[in-house]
Amino acid sequence: MARFIAKRVLLGLITLWLLSVLIFLLAQVLPGDVGRRILGPFADQKAVDALNHELGTDRSLLAQYGDWIGGFVTGDMGESLAFRRPVDDVIGPALVNSAKLALLAFVIVVPLAIVGGVYAALKEGRPADRVISVGGISATAIPEFVWAVVLILVFALTLDLLPVTAQAPPESGFFTQLKYLLLPALCLVFVLFGYISRMARAGTIESLDSDYTRTAIIKGLPRRTVIRRHVLRNSLLPTIAVVATQIGYLIGGLVVIEVIFNYNGIGQALFDGLQQKDFPLLQSTVLIVGIVYLVATLLADILYSLLNPRLRLGAAE
Amino acid sequence: MDPIRQRVDAIRARSTGLENHLIDEYRAGSISRREFVARATVVGMSIPLAGFLASACGVDREDISKVDPKQTEPPQPGGTIRTGIGAPAGALDPVTANNEGALAVLGQSGEYLTWSDSQLKLRPRLAESWKPNSDGSVWTFKIRQGVKFHDGQSMSAEDVVATIDRLADPDGSSNALSVFAGVLSKGKSKAVDPSTVEFTLDAPNGNFPYLLSSDNYNAIILPKTYEGDWEKTFIGTGPWKLDDYEPEVSANYVKNPDYWDKTRQPVPDRHEVKFYEQEPALVLAMLGNEVDIVSHYSVSGGKALLTSEDVRTTEYSSSVHRQLHMRTDQEPFKDKRVRQAVALLVNRENLVNGLLDTKSDFGNDSPFAPAYRSTDKSVKQRRRDVEQARQLLADAGKDDGFQVQIDGWNGFEMPDYAQLVQDDVRPAGITIKLNITDAASYYGDATFGNSRWLDSNMGITEYGHRGVPNVLLGAPLKSDGTWNSAHFKNKRYDQLVAEYTAALDLGVQRRTARQIQELLLDETPIIFSYFYFWLAGARPEVSGYETTAMGHIDASQAGRVA
Repeated sequence: MARFIAKRVLLGLITLWLLSVLIFLLAQVLPGDVGRRILGPFADQKAVDALNHELGTDRSLLAQYGDWIGGFVTGDMGESLAFRRPVDDVIGPALVNSAKLALLAFVIVVPLAIVGGVYAALKEGRPADRVISVGGISATAIPEFVWAVVLILVFALTLDLLPVTAQAPPESGFFTQLKYLLLPALCLVFVLFGYISRMARAGTIESLDSDYTRTAIIKGLPRRTVIRRHVLRNSLLPTIAVVATQIGYLIGGLVVIEVIFNYNGIGQALFDGLQQKDFPLLQSTVLIVGIVYLVATLLADILYSLLNPRLRLGAAE
Repeated sequence: MDPIRQRVDAIRARSTGLENHLIDEYRAGSISRREFVARATVVGMSIPLAGFLASACGVDREDISKVDPKQTEPPQPGGTIRTGIGAPAGALDPVTANNEGALAVLGQSGEYLTWSDSQLKLRPRLAESWKPNSDGSVWTFKIRQGVKFHDGQSMSAEDVVATIDRLADPDGSSNALSVFAGVLSKGKSKAVDPSTVEFTLDAPNGNFPYLLSSDNYNAIILPKTYEGDWEKTFIGTGPWKLDDYEPEVSANYVKNPDYWDKTRQPVPDRHEVKFYEQEPALVLAMLGNEVDIVSHYSVSGGKALLTSEDVRTTEYSSSVHRQLHMRTDQEPFKDKRVRQAVALLVNRENLVNGLLDTKSDFGNDSPFAPAYRSTDKSVKQRRRDVEQARQLLADAGKDDGFQVQIDGWNGFEMPDYAQLVQDDVRPAGITIKLNITDAASYYGDATFGNSRWLDSNMGITEYGHRGVPNVLLGAPLKSDGTWNSAHFKNKRYDQLVAEYTAALDLGVQRRTARQIQELLLDETPIIFSYFYFWLAGARPEVSGYETTAMGHIDASQAGRVA
């Protein structure tokens, strides 16, 4: 197992390094330089040149990349060119915000979708199954910004129950933050419910059809025990993989939701980095989102192998 | 069915094709109510019938085009006022700031020598008075005494000199360098005594005080010891002192107990300024009662605010506009008759009444917006005239039309503007291809040879508000102008602009303005179709706030009425 993890981590590090080189090169293709992006098109060229010199963005690309990667591996992400603050200061709060939103969405959607999927499987072909399956797919098919607009119109503007934006006032308590995050989290719940419940449903149907389930039933075990011990344990394996792949999306892929709900998350930081051609910010944000993806998939693999004795034994051999 | 709708349908069923077309145009916002009634009577409708149709078919438009009554009740002291603004992009630094969000924040704790109000009048702030020498080449400002920075230091003439020198420094990263170019050089500001500063200009300039006003948003007066760490302190002399700041989220202020102006002590106890990355979120925040004031919104993005009963909109003429340039040194626009023809084909009525929902003034192909006091409004307004345009094209040997490309970027209403122009010129056989990109691709390096903005044959560029037209007359149109995307070179024009710039007297400015307006109408290097109305909104119970078309918001005198 340790060897398996070490191999995955090593591959992950190589992927991240390649990602950093790729982003750096792509960022150079973007038109305009950093000084021009910060001061705008109408600024005097002399001022732009002076700012580029002050920021060090008039140095060679290799020197800039070398400085940045050298710092990054020692935990120093450098200074944001546009915000003139350490990148940690820009990304830190954004990452915390994104994690809060992702966690809330996860806490709601994972149990809900698994229970929904399993229930649909147990009631396969009946009205309850149809409602859950068709409803889930329909909800997923509607883009998140449409859900956002609908939910804001209903719950914030018409019923006046929840705030229109997601950013709670500074130093808000747990329940106030929860209130602010509920609408964006619900958008994500709608988007993810269909994926997860469908996987849970398919896995459960497959397990219910399997020989070991039939044997357990014939053995005379109570139905509840059969489902808990034999069906769920096997049926949830593909679901875990789906859930894990959504973690990266939930942390780094929510620019649209963050914009609509005016939420200062990591997607927004990524967008700012790109807009301003702020290379240290852009690069660090991309790598952090990359790390989240890698860690999530690694955890999913580990969990998968722990739940699946065949994989575990295979790794041991 | 609604009885009014039934009656409209019955009238339309028996109307001629021409009458129905007119009704459709009115419903689409292409013509105003007054024009509809006038033209309806020409095509044979009775005045009562036209009046009924105008009311029945134009309800929404009338709602939008009406002006909300201003809340005039005095505000109650105390409480918190919450203002929503566009999020500042990047670090907050008075020297480099270049966006509306940043300048709105600068103006909370910072102050200028003079304040350029929504009517473009200058009011004294940190300068008590100012006067020029006989030819406007030296300006002397009397600096207010007894003013303290938020850290307790007294503000003096030396601080003013250091601030302006910093902005005029060609070796620094000042965003205001383009404003001072050719006007004021570094080292030409002098503290004559602790309360007097003398500015010796590069050339006479009658509007110089505007360049030191809130119009030049970088020019908040900072201590001479300032080292570029403004975001840590928000230092200034203004009525608000920073309480807490969360980057990308909000800046909250409390009263400055040492504020010098006893007549303008803050009315509310606290001012919360919230940042919104995009306009839709700002509009929703206003509708959802998350803010009391929204410092600015656009017609295209803020229709919900214009029609909401919970929002009172203030609107005033500004000089915000779009420039549609034509390269005067390239075919097919080398011949001015071709440029004139394109300008005559643009349907400004459609743009103002439809695209901008009546919330703009007509442009007359020069930077002289109706909002400017020096603009000569008696110069004949250019209107759509397809026949004259065709004749001009024929005279120029282009009666078969031609094909061109409009470059632009995907912001504000500009892509729609480009499409409307594309439709407008079609009757004369002109085919326009649109090349709409993102802002960065359009502006590129913003230097000649490296920018679609400055190199394209035809392009649309957005320009913000200026309290006086000096900058707009210079950089985009003068022969050596750094923003001269039309590549317009005209010695007579350069001479007239120099005369206008130097003129101290409004009468002289207006006479010169007329000559410039007429010259530009004749040459037409750039089409100026409209000048935006500046729109700001507040909850009906809020009074006393002031916004300017520059993007400033002064909430120090704001509050809720009893």
